[in-house]
Amino acid sequence: MTKVTDDIIIRTVARVLVPFIQLYALYVIMHGHHSPGGGFQGGVILGASFILYLLTHGIEEAKLKMSEMKAGLFSSFGLLIYSGIGLLCIILGSNYLDYGKLSTLLKVIPAQARSLGILGVEIGVGIGVMAVMFSIFFDISTGGEVEEEQ
Amino acid sequence: MHTFFLSLGMGLFALALLCLYRGVFGPGVLNRIAGICAIGTKTLIILLLMGFIYDRVEMFIDISMVYALLNFIGTITAAKYLEMKGEV
Repeated sequence: MTKVTDDIIIRTVARVLVPFIQLYALYVIMHGHHSPGGGFQGGVILGASFILYLLTHGIEEAKLKMSEMKAGLFSSFGLLIYSGIGLLCIILGSNYLDYGKLSTLLKVIPAQARSLGILGVEIGVGIGVMAVMFSIFFDISTGGEVEEEQ
Repeated sequence: MHTFFLSLGMGLFALALLCLYRGVFGPGVLNRIAGICAIGTKTLIILLLMGFIYDRVEMFIDISMVYALLNFIGTITAAKYLEMKGEV
């Protein structure tokens, strides 16, 4: 799985396709409230774009875009966004992930604060799912043969 | 018009079952991969027909695009597996 393919068609198609896949993933994340999709689905598509890049360009080139350490950092960062917004709601005197109270912080009406809050949570979930998907595929495809980086 | 879409979808479903037979019992890996890819494209069209039946095609087109995308990546992965194992 980690060998570089020497087929120029696959390499070119993947190189051209990856930005559009990522753009579509961002669309799925941002339009999560009024169309199918959301944080998890968008994160899976975003992870699939990196998996496609790893499949076609080999592990050395893919490490420059998304390394194992970066994937770990991104997965923790996504979880931090999710739980941070939840804790912020508790600090403001409401329930966990009750976005209505964020209106005092964002200076908007509560309905708009709910929309912005769920958007922030979905962005966090998307980042986390993307990193975890890539990390799982990375570990399986190398079979633990690649030495760890510091 | 709904009857037309419904019968079209059922016909495609029957064809997908034939492809499933090829995917399960097909001799060799190559026949299996071809069968699975054909099931993927048929499922995509069935999803779009469901969108027409429920009058929410702008919603189902998102799902079908994701399905086409994952099908493409799955095909490349299967081809990569074959290249690695040296079956072709």
